[in-house]
Amino acid sequence: MAKVNSEYAIETISLTKVFPDWWGRAKVIAVDDLNLCVKHNEVYGLLGPNGSGKTTTLKMLLGLLYPTKGKALLLGGDSSNTKISERIGYLPEDSYLYRYLSAKETLDFYGRLFGLPSQVRKHRIESLLEMVGLTGMANRPVGTFSKGMARRIGLAQALINDPDLLILDEPTSGMDPISTRQMKDLFIRLASRGKTILLCSHLLADVEDVCDRIGILYGGKMQIEGQVKSLLQKSSENQIVTGQLSENALEKIKQIVREEQQDCEISSPMERLEDFFVQTVASAQEREVPTSGAVNTGGIGGFLAAEDGKGEDILDKLVSVSVKKEETDQQKVQTEKVERKPVKQEDSSVLEKLTGGNVEQVQSDKPKQPEILEKPVKTVEQVNDDLLKKLTGNDEKKDLTERTVSDKPGDIDDA
Amino acid sequence: MRRVWAVARNTMAQAIRMKVAVVIIMLLLVILPVMSFIMIGDGTLHGKLQTFISYGMSLVSLLLCVLTIAVSVYTLTSDLKLKQIFLVVTKPIHRFELLVGKLLGVVILDAFLLAVFASIIYGLTLMIPRLSDANQAEIDKANREFFTARIGLKTKIDEEKIEKAVFARYEELEKTGQLPSDMSRIKILRELRGQELLKERVVEPGKQKLWEFENIKPIEGTETLFVRYKYEVSGSFPDMEVKSVWVVGDYRQQERLGPGIWESPVYRVDRSDAIKMFREFEVPANAIAEDGYLAVAFNNLYENRATVIPDDVEVLYKAGGFTGNFLRVVLMVFARLIFLSALGVSLSTWLSFPVAILVCFSIFFIGTVNGFVVDSFDYMEIKGIEMLYSLTLKPLLWLFPRFDGEFNPTRFMISARFLSWVFLLEVYGVMVAIKSIILLILGIWIFSNKEIAKTIV
Repeated sequence: MAKVNSEYAIETISLTKVFPDWWGRAKVIAVDDLNLCVKHNEVYGLLGPNGSGKTTTLKMLLGLLYPTKGKALLLGGDSSNTKISERIGYLPEDSYLYRYLSAKETLDFYGRLFGLPSQVRKHRIESLLEMVGLTGMANRPVGTFSKGMARRIGLAQALINDPDLLILDEPTSGMDPISTRQMKDLFIRLASRGKTILLCSHLLADVEDVCDRIGILYGGKMQIEGQVKSLLQKSSENQIVTGQLSENALEKIKQIVREEQQDCEISSPMERLEDFFVQTVASAQEREVPTSGAVNTGGIGGFLAAEDGKGEDILDKLVSVSVKKEETDQQKVQTEKVERKPVKQEDSSVLEKLTGGNVEQVQSDKPKQPEILEKPVKTVEQVNDDLLKKLTGNDEKKDLTERTVSDKPGDIDDA
Repeated sequence: MRRVWAVARNTMAQAIRMKVAVVIIMLLLVILPVMSFIMIGDGTLHGKLQTFISYGMSLVSLLLCVLTIAVSVYTLTSDLKLKQIFLVVTKPIHRFELLVGKLLGVVILDAFLLAVFASIIYGLTLMIPRLSDANQAEIDKANREFFTARIGLKTKIDEEKIEKAVFARYEELEKTGQLPSDMSRIKILRELRGQELLKERVVEPGKQKLWEFENIKPIEGTETLFVRYKYEVSGSFPDMEVKSVWVVGDYRQQERLGPGIWESPVYRVDRSDAIKMFREFEVPANAIAEDGYLAVAFNNLYENRATVIPDDVEVLYKAGGFTGNFLRVVLMVFARLIFLSALGVSLSTWLSFPVAILVCFSIFFIGTVNGFVVDSFDYMEIKGIEMLYSLTLKPLLWLFPRFDGEFNPTRFMISARFLSWVFLLEVYGVMVAIKSIILLILGIWIFSNKEIAKTIV
């Protein structure tokens, strides 16, 4: 099933899309001579501000739009070829579901389009509904679902065929932070099972946490492309993370840095808002604070956090065949891999509390590095840092978990 | 095929859960039984049956046509507008399969609804005689003239004879210099033709007109045959009832055997009928000669003191049963629904919902008057334009459906006309196998080349 036809899972060659006006004159160049290559078993993040050509690129890849010039190949072929499209899962920017169908009927309909036999379909629908935590709402029309619930069904339909390639457009839009976190963990686990994922988003945190490699589009052109780690790592600066230190020790450290002719900034780290939110909700749930809103139950954690291997089974059932095959295929494919950021220990316990699942499971599912041939990655100096700052407005990484000591010049800021 | 079926199932679910479908279904479920009670017609059982089946079938046909147009146009345009199609065309399904699936869904829904409503009409029609307080004579009449399927034969106009007479009159007028100077030759000829045709039809007081029919072959066991006609009267006619004597039988005996000698029966029927309404009387089937010949004579009694024009004189005889005929009539309505489904799906591949539905309804209404339009254009005799018409508008009009005249299914039911399988096959051949397929292929071609996610910038 997971046959590798070419070196790349996604390949565009001089892909260009020009939208003409009513008279047929070129009006907007949405995508301009784009050459995008995503290797098998890679999680690639396509970033860019609104109107930068991300979705247009995806639509050309999927045959929803025809390129004005160039070619778009998926799994070595054209997406209009049913042999290719049966190996693709797609989640558009909005879920676009048939409002009158129930959750179960929705998945059944898409399962039928893939020609899945009745037994397989039934089994997968049950597994997927359990996975996205909507088993209890299986017979409710999706038109009555909230946006987040519709996204979950959207994701379930994208997985019904156990795809080799997942194309996800803004997958976490409309989801609360806990669901977002669970969704991201799922992507990491899917990737670890050999899936290729193209993630298109302007939520930078999603991309940063999940992707191996990113590309930033602006004006339909690829502005920069590379591995997340190499793009974001500042090799000219150092960061030391320690527990609470005495004033004396801090002074000593400053002294050592000064001896090295460097400036030094000492501060207590800021917690990420996402982590803070997760912890607050967990604490409220522990105190059994009444709520009329959605409560995250163990249902959704069942597939994302894999309690006692239960969620694991669901994924395994869905992907086990392709995993074995993919591992064999990978030996032929050279792939750049960067280490994905593991879920932090305290986050794991909080998520566990919220979902009743076991987050540690996620960490054990990291990609199997020995089979992957590492390529030398670009250093920061090779990257146009200014451009990145201008485009993303993010000039420093704020993901600090402990008191940090940085050699960046500036005032000491005790948060 | 599994993918086509999946799309068809989804289309049916979409249609059934659409409010318009439910409204139409509920409306018919209530109206049809009510109609069977409140419709009286001319007060007789036969009249009640005719009125019920006419209005019942017309209503079911019209509402299902409206539903078909709405559903077939909505199903694809809403998928495109609400972008649900993004998730469908990116699955392993060919675009033609998607269109065929949509069409199949609408057609299956139509077949189901038509079967349900036709069954209701059929059941209620059979119930009406049982629930009415009609006497045996009325029930017998209903059985002979309604619960049957009859073939109607008309005599053809002798065009050659008419033409000769027209030219003879023209020459005569020309010789005597009586041709009106303000009229063209064509107009004069047309006027003369009208006069000659009228001359053929009129029967003056005390005169007789004879129609001769050949090849009448009723099915075995047929006991009666019917003569159907309608009177027009020229000039003022205060009495409003035409008194007449009809004679039906093998008239050739008179020439062969001489007056007053009869080998096979000839029947005399005395009638007194209102004008401008179709009337029927029956005669025993043994009036037909062994070789299938039959003559029908109309005698305008002198006491009428008016010239009578008996129109559309027809001999009707049984050729099949009511149930079989009803089934064929329903199948004819179904052909219409298949065509409209193909039209709706095809148009929605390139038109938005409001435009596509407007075009569909326009075509539907043109279809209901198409015969009239074609006939009126056929009478056009202005040189040059005639040629232009036959090369341009006429083929275009052929592409439009024809729902009126001989293609009107209810007409067959009202006068219990036999709808032959051959004619039904012809309707399916033209309306389904040719016109619907052309529309579908056109739709597939457009849809296969369409940019699904195209946005106007």
